[in-house]
Amino acid sequence: MERIKSINVRWAFMLILIFFAISNAWSAPENEPNTGFAWKDGEEIYTKICAYCHEVQVGPQIRNRELPAAYIREIVRNGNRAMPAFRYAEIDDESLAKLSEFISQTQSKH
Amino acid sequence: MTSKYIALPKGVSEKNFDAAISDFRRVLGDASVLTSAEQLAPYIKTMMPVPDADHTPSAALLATTVEQIQKIVAICNQYKVPIWMISTGKNLGYGSAAPAERGQVVLDLKRMNRILEVDKDLAFALVEPGVTYQQLYDYIKEHKLGLWLSMPAPSAIAGPVGNTLDRGVGYTPYGEHFLFACGMEVVLANGEVLRTGMGSMPNSNTWQVFKWGYGPYLDGIFTQSNYGIVTKFGFWLMPEPPAFKPFVIQYQHEEDIVEIVETIRPLRISGVIPNAVVIAHALYEAPVKANRSDYVSGPGSIPDEAVYRIMKDHKLGIWNVYAALYGTQEQIDVNWKIVKQAFGKSGKAKILTEQEAAEDPAFIYRAKLMRGEMTLTEFSLYNWRKGGGSMWFAPVSQARGSETLKQMALTKQILAKYGLDYSGEFIVGMRDMHHIVDVLYDKTDPEQTKAAYQCFDELLTEFSARGYGTYRVNTAFMDKVADTYGPVQRNIHKTLKKALDPNGILAPGKSGIR
Repeated sequence: MERIKSINVRWAFMLILIFFAISNAWSAPENEPNTGFAWKDGEEIYTKICAYCHEVQVGPQIRNRELPAAYIREIVRNGNRAMPAFRYAEIDDESLAKLSEFISQTQSKH
Repeated sequence: MTSKYIALPKGVSEKNFDAAISDFRRVLGDASVLTSAEQLAPYIKTMMPVPDADHTPSAALLATTVEQIQKIVAICNQYKVPIWMISTGKNLGYGSAAPAERGQVVLDLKRMNRILEVDKDLAFALVEPGVTYQQLYDYIKEHKLGLWLSMPAPSAIAGPVGNTLDRGVGYTPYGEHFLFACGMEVVLANGEVLRTGMGSMPNSNTWQVFKWGYGPYLDGIFTQSNYGIVTKFGFWLMPEPPAFKPFVIQYQHEEDIVEIVETIRPLRISGVIPNAVVIAHALYEAPVKANRSDYVSGPGSIPDEAVYRIMKDHKLGIWNVYAALYGTQEQIDVNWKIVKQAFGKSGKAKILTEQEAAEDPAFIYRAKLMRGEMTLTEFSLYNWRKGGGSMWFAPVSQARGSETLKQMALTKQILAKYGLDYSGEFIVGMRDMHHIVDVLYDKTDPEQTKAAYQCFDELLTEFSARGYGTYRVNTAFMDKVADTYGPVQRNIHKTLKKALDPNGILAPGKSGIR
């Protein structure tokens, strides 16, 4: 009796393993919640996008010029001549507000 | 009657589009279905010399899961709504984030941006379409994985999925990106999910290590195409080498390009130089250091005399050859001797390394690209004519010196006819050579914009007539380039399209395929 119970437990364990192996191979990734990238703050966006042009004379200096938030938003969303436009999917509205604040108000560290 | 949409898909009534939008909202939520002019503005700006109205989307969908995408294609099939897929959406000079045809719905996968796996030992990554090179670069640094990326010049804001699917290139030994792709997950137009190669086999752990699987190799048909929506993408990464030696070799005469290519080819084929060698003309490098307006004013292309002055003022060669050596210091020392000997023979080359060129801004950004560091300095090209106009002209030839001067002469002649400058470079791949010309113009000037369109059209016509095929092109000229490859290939592309996407919902017009 004890032996049968142990065999049943082993089978159940194996079935669970097989189930997980199959589900891992096929369905797990797409059912996981999206825990992708999110911006930490305005400084990170500035450093990892804007600074590559605006701190190396490719684009104009934009920090410490008290540029209005609405103006920054307009340029980011529509682009300006050579500057590409940035979509909501890249920089959401909340992050864009933080970026505008960083560009307008923070002392340059770059 | 005024429409509530800024554009409608071709052949779809507003009533049917209302129904489709309503269904999209049920799948994605209101905030992820964009239809207003303000929300769609960033999808409209392109660098091409055609009216933005020709490429205005009707809506944009921000999907984040495979399941959502399966539901989206079902809705598209029901209402015959075409979608245009983008990943990071920075296809600058090739069409940016705008759809090929007015009214297509952009399926924006930027927020589908998980790094699913980076294997340090086997040196591969599996990522979603919205992952940028910057994101992956930060991840690798944070986890101290000792792996290098290869990316194109818009590095930080672009991503490996979109770049590789459009068969873009980079500057490290892994720079021919599609060569290093290994395994895709693709949502097909019928909603099925295909994993290519070894990924088709349940329980296999070899999806990202063995490219071919069993049977016909399918990955290629999902590049530069519209046969499916790639939702996961595997590719190989380069182990960080113990040593790295970038260098630039300058030449003073345009005709030296023949000798340059003849010298490079054997070094590339034998693997002495492991990365694609860039031979940049002075006018390609000048914008990093100089303003065009300091040397020339008024209409017309820049005269040679001004180019020579730029070279002199900013220590540029007329040709600037960028490459690098990778490996242990001992390997580099041996190969450096071979390189110096090969280029030193004629006495025309000026060889510079980090020792001499460490402060040179052009050398700095080129060296960064060759070791997979983020930089957007090449965007200084866009300051040359200002106004945000740019199209990449990219014909392919054999890697032979004899292919260079005639191509350059023809390109310069056509550009000059339209008052545009030769911002060109040759890139020696493994046996091929790409002639890359940034056709730069001021998009705020209607006359220059019109000239740029005619110029690009003529470049394609004249080069294809001489057997030079274009490897990649912007969305305004995809049909023209598809025609240059002949009717049989176009028919095969069409046959595959009909079989895989009978309702034509996936990116109609991509590479001329409908």
